[in-house]
Amino acid sequence: MKDAKEYVAALFKSHNLTIPANRKALLEKFMQDEQNIATINLLIHNGDELMNKWKLENSIADIMQKPARVLNATVGKSYETKFDFEKMGWKDITAFEFEGLQETGLYYDEKTAQIMGVPTISGDIKIKFRFKVKGQPDEAPFNEKIITLIINPDPKSLWKNLESDKADPYWKEDNVTVFAPIADRHILVSSKRGRSHANVGSFREDDFAFADLEGGWSIVVVADGAGSAKISRKGSAMACNGIVDYFREKSSVESMVEFDDLLQQYKAQTGEDTQKKMAHFVYNNLGKAVFKVHKQLEEFATKEGITLKDLSTTLIFTLLKKYDIGYALLSFGVGDCPMAFLNKDVSQVTLLNWIDVGEFGGGTRFVTMPEIFSSEKFATRFGFKLTDDFSYLMMMSDGIYDPKFVVEAALPDIKKWKEFLEDLGGKNEDKARVELSVDNKDIVEQFSTWMDFWSIGNHDDRTLAIVF
Amino acid sequence: MRRLPVYLLLDTSGSMTGEPIEAVKNGVQVMISSLRQNPQAIETAFISIITFDSTAKQIVPLTDLASFQMADIKATGTTNLGEGLKLVATCIDNEVAKTTAEQKGDWKPLVFIMTDGIPTDDWQSGLEEFKKRKTAFTVACAAGTAADSNLLKQITENVVSLDTADSQSIAKFFTWVSASIGVTSTKVEDGGKEVTGLGELPPPPSELNIVT
Repeated sequence: MKDAKEYVAALFKSHNLTIPANRKALLEKFMQDEQNIATINLLIHNGDELMNKWKLENSIADIMQKPARVLNATVGKSYETKFDFEKMGWKDITAFEFEGLQETGLYYDEKTAQIMGVPTISGDIKIKFRFKVKGQPDEAPFNEKIITLIINPDPKSLWKNLESDKADPYWKEDNVTVFAPIADRHILVSSKRGRSHANVGSFREDDFAFADLEGGWSIVVVADGAGSAKISRKGSAMACNGIVDYFREKSSVESMVEFDDLLQQYKAQTGEDTQKKMAHFVYNNLGKAVFKVHKQLEEFATKEGITLKDLSTTLIFTLLKKYDIGYALLSFGVGDCPMAFLNKDVSQVTLLNWIDVGEFGGGTRFVTMPEIFSSEKFATRFGFKLTDDFSYLMMMSDGIYDPKFVVEAALPDIKKWKEFLEDLGGKNEDKARVELSVDNKDIVEQFSTWMDFWSIGNHDDRTLAIVF
Repeated sequence: MRRLPVYLLLDTSGSMTGEPIEAVKNGVQVMISSLRQNPQAIETAFISIITFDSTAKQIVPLTDLASFQMADIKATGTTNLGEGLKLVATCIDNEVAKTTAEQKGDWKPLVFIMTDGIPTDDWQSGLEEFKKRKTAFTVACAAGTAADSNLLKQITENVVSLDTADSQSIAKFFTWVSASIGVTSTKVEDGGKEVTGLGELPPPPSELNIVT
C-alpha cells in the first residue's frame, strides 16, 4: 500500500498535479477504491515489465556492439584462440551456438572457452554467433552476431608448379640431380628450379658442370643466372660449359703441367718466389679461362642480337688435383655464390672465395660485366689452397646460401657448416636426410628431396655441389 | 627472412566523413584479402596503417599479412599531414630492420599516402624528417579536387590523382596499391631487386591520373 501511495504521488508529481491539504482525505479514499488499486498495480507491473524489457534489449545490444576479435587462422595449421564470454564482457548468456564454424574445420570448446581445431577452408568467413541472454523466454528466437574469422590459405598451396616451355631455344631441365665419381672422390650435385620460377612456368637459371680432365685435374663449376636478365639461363649454361671446355683444350692441359713443377718447388722450398709464381700461375691460367668465357658470351650476344647484360650470370669454379702431399685447389669466383672446403675432421672451414654482396640486394657482380676484369679487385677473385686432405668441398648458389647461411659473416664459422651438415643429415623440419656415403643407393633421391626444403621468402633456384 | 614493409598513410580528417572513409576501410580489406592469395606477398609483405587527422596515429603496427586485422577508423578533425609523415619516419626507425654483418635487414619500405585535402599543419618539417628515411618508393594519391597534387609532388615524384573521392575511385586506387605490393614482393623474392619507381609498377587504371 505504501508502494502504491509513493507510485501515485510520483505519477501525479511528474504531471504537475498537486494535492492541496484539504484534499488529502479524498486521496486517501481514492486509494482505497478496489478498481483504482487494480489499476495502480497494473501500472506498476507494466512499468517493471517495460524496464526489464529495456534491460534485456540493452544487454543484447551490449553483446552485439562489442567487437569480437578472433585471431586469424591458417589452413592446415592447428589453431586455438580464447573466446571467453565473461572476459569479453558478454554477460548473462544462457544459451548459444555457432553457425558456420564447423564447416571451417573448427569447433568451440566450452571447457576451455576456446575456438580450436585445424581449419580446412580459407577466406574471410562470416560466422554466426547465436545466443540468448537471461530474461529471454525459452521460446524466444536466438540473437545473431556476425563474427568475421579470417582463415589464410596454406602458403604452400599458393605456389603453382608450371612446367617450363620445352620449345624454348634456351630451355634446360627444371631439376637435375647427379651422383658421379670425380678425381679420387665423388660428387653429389643438384640444381633445382626455384618455386618463384615454377609458379610462373619460367626457367631454371642456375647451372653447373663438372669433369675429370687430362693431367689429373678435376673441375667443378656453378653459375647462377641473374633473375633480372632475360636469357641468363643460357648465360649460366654457357659459363659452366665454357670453363670446362677451356680446360679440356690441349693448350690448357699443357699449360697446367707447369703447376706440378711449381708445387714441387713450393714443397721443397727451393726456387725463388714460388708463392708469387704460383699466384701468378693461377691468375694467368684461370683468368684466361674466365676471360674467354666472357668473350664467348659477348660473341653470342652479338650473334643473337641481345645485350651481354641479358646473359648476366655469376660464376664460381674449383680445379682440384691430388698430389702425394695432398690436394691442390685452384679457384675463381665472381658473384654471391660461396665455395669452401672442410678439413678431414670437420673442425675447420676454408673459404675459397669472397662473395659479392651489396648492402641492399642486387649488389652482386657477374662474369658478363666487363668492369670486373679492369677492377683492382680482379686478382683477389683467385685462390690457391693446398690441403693434406678434406672431408667436403662445397659449392652453392645463393638459393642455398641465403636460407642456410643468411649472412656473409656466417661463412667463416665452422659451427654454421656443422649445422649445415647436420641439416643434410636430417636435422630439418621435413626430416629429409641425405646419407653422404658412396654406398648409398638412394643418394640421388634423398638429395633431391632435401633440396626441396621449405624456407619462407627463399624460393630462388638452388644449386649445391658436394665433393666428398 | 627479409620483410617488405609497406606503410599506408591515410587521411582521416573530417572531410573524409561518409562515403570516402567507408571506401578506404573497404579498400584496405579488399587489398589485404587479395594479397593473401599471392604466395610471395603473404610471405614477404608486412603492412602498417597510419592515419592522420588532428593527430597522427599508427593504428596497425607493421604486421604480416596472415595476422593482419584492420582497425576501425573514423573521420574527424583537421589534416595534419606533416605529423603523419613524421610518424611514418619514426615507425620506419623502430620497425624496419637494418642490414648488418650478423643479420640481413628488411627490404626498403614502400609508402602509400592518400589525402583529400590541404595540410593544416607545418607539413614541411614533417616532410624533412620523412625524407631522411630510405624508401624503395613513395606514392601519394590526391583524392578529389580539394587535394593539391602539386603539394604532394614535393613529397614524392610519384603522384596520382582521383577526380572524385567516391567509393569506386578509392576502390580502384587500393586495387592498384595491392597489385603494386604484389609485383614488388615478387621482384624482391625472385630477383633480389628492389622496385624504385612508378615505371616498374603495374600501369594504374584509368581512374588514376598520373601527375607529371
